[in-house]
Amino acid sequence: MKFFAFHLMPWDRLPADFAERYDSAWTTIPNSLYDPPHGGKLYNDYLDQLVLADQLGFDGVCVNEHHQNAYGTMPSPNLMASILARQTKRVKIAVVGNALPFYNSPTRVAEEFAMIDCISGGRLIAGLVVGGGPEYFSFSVNPTHARSMYREAFDLVLRCWTENGPFEHYGQHWKLRYVNPWPRPIQQPHPPIWIPGAGSRETIQFVAERRFAYMGIPYFHLDFFQRNFDMFRDACEKNGYTADPEQLGWLLPIYVAETDAKAWEEYEKHLWYFVRNLLKGLVIFPPGYTSARSIAGIQRGLQQFMTVCQTREDIERGGYAVVGSPETVRQKLETYAHQLGVGNLLGLFQLGTLPHELACKNMTLFAEQVMPHLRAIGKL
Amino acid sequence: MPANVQHRFLHVGGKKTQLMTLGEGPPLVYLHSAGGETEAIPFHHKLAEKYTVYVPAHPGFALSEGLNEILDIHDLAWHYVDLFAALELEDVPVIGYSLGAWLALELAILRPQLISRLGIIAAAGLYVEGSPMGELFIDDFNKLRELIFFNPESPAALETTPRNPDDSQMLMWLRAREATARVGWNPYLHDPKLPQHLHRVTQPTTIVWGRHDKMIPLAHGEYYAAHLPNATLQILEECGHGVPWEKCDETATLLM
Repeated sequence: MKFFAFHLMPWDRLPADFAERYDSAWTTIPNSLYDPPHGGKLYNDYLDQLVLADQLGFDGVCVNEHHQNAYGTMPSPNLMASILARQTKRVKIAVVGNALPFYNSPTRVAEEFAMIDCISGGRLIAGLVVGGGPEYFSFSVNPTHARSMYREAFDLVLRCWTENGPFEHYGQHWKLRYVNPWPRPIQQPHPPIWIPGAGSRETIQFVAERRFAYMGIPYFHLDFFQRNFDMFRDACEKNGYTADPEQLGWLLPIYVAETDAKAWEEYEKHLWYFVRNLLKGLVIFPPGYTSARSIAGIQRGLQQFMTVCQTREDIERGGYAVVGSPETVRQKLETYAHQLGVGNLLGLFQLGTLPHELACKNMTLFAEQVMPHLRAIGKL
Repeated sequence: MPANVQHRFLHVGGKKTQLMTLGEGPPLVYLHSAGGETEAIPFHHKLAEKYTVYVPAHPGFALSEGLNEILDIHDLAWHYVDLFAALELEDVPVIGYSLGAWLALELAILRPQLISRLGIIAAAGLYVEGSPMGELFIDDFNKLRELIFFNPESPAALETTPRNPDDSQMLMWLRAREATARVGWNPYLHDPKLPQHLHRVTQPTTIVWGRHDKMIPLAHGEYYAAHLPNATLQILEECGHGVPWEKCDETATLLM
């Protein structure tokens, strides 16, 4: 079992009546709500939290890309990853990921990832993603081309890393006469590749076919993860091999405090800020983003999304977040991770309004009192 | 009502295409909107009182295939060049609604000889400064009904959009949205080059618009009326974007 500290870099100062007044924390949220000096402080706190993860013995840190939203104020995860490449010594740096269809040309992803891999001494995990639904609105990129752009860009990035240039790329979406990125990554033939998915069959099959790692999109009921991870394992079997647990990652909010009661007392209002404000408007499947059949299925799955939760009991029953004393968190994670068969746990230790000190305490308790126990149970 | 509704499939340039026909009389082609009204609605029946009405489903709509080869509105117009040839239609009246009206104009520019006269209902196709179109690609059906219908609680409004994710219409609805987005995501439901070609559309053209269209504001109709050489604009009161449902008889009378 490997442990990662995942960061969204969320916005923590939405007005108290945000959920009533605004339709979404995405795309159309007025950017007049953004306060740059406070943004600077947040970025530095958040980077400190990820540097702390390195010192606490986490296996890795994760950053990710989102645009025009309050949920994750990290339009360029590569900027953050490059700072972390210098400020951390040991952890893997997982960028989960770069949204390939929004890079023109996507060879830029191969270049920037190679830079981070070089600066960090080969510690990059390269996440290559289709991009979230709302971002197809933010960039006005046609979502009916999302999959074909993604596949084309993905193959191109891999070629950048594994073939000597210059070569020509003549695709449907990009026509490039000279592909010849400098620099090239330290890790050979290329950095490990992680691909997140929300359960669309196309993504699961693609990841299984190519033997990469599949990261379950968070905030769903445990049953939803179970279905998707089982589907992934089946897809691997169909491709002639058995999935390694490390090919699966599970991302979820985690909060550890001294006792169960204290954990909920410290955490609950921050969790609801996240659920009711930051997740508002998050899941939009623009037309053609994936097949109509997958979208219809996922829309039914949305009845199991965290935003349907009303009470602490709903959260606990569905395993949407794991909250409690070190003992409670250990037990729950051991049970769930075993059930789900995942080898990578991606914990969200800061989900917005949690004060910096509590986020650090959360990570510290997790690293000192939960992680060693789960490591001891060995490979799942 | 002369029922006589028939469905069949034909292959047009390698694309399986669903075609509904109804009524008797001389041929008339109806080009449907983003809503994908490819099953007979009262408006089709009204037209069928005088014409043999051809209602093809655009690629990606209903059970029509071939969306992979459609990258923009011009590919869609060329598909209709092929379809008219397959049906041996020439010099026939064409009525288009919304997306279909935009398509009819593109087709008229590409192959004027195919079209004898045009009926243009609440047409997409333009970018009019100061009169933005509504956001069609949203998941909230209540908001969508408000955008499209003068009375969002009317039976027609409720019937033309799914009620919830479990609705049996859902899959066809998602297919229709995808096929619309393919040609209408960016540029958003318009062709920036269309205005410079409008002077070539010399057929007699009747433009019909709802006064209260929130999806495509009346200013778009006024622009068309001012720039199409042989057009008249008919404005319907107490009517939104859902013209064929909201003003079925009046619109049919204006266009027949």
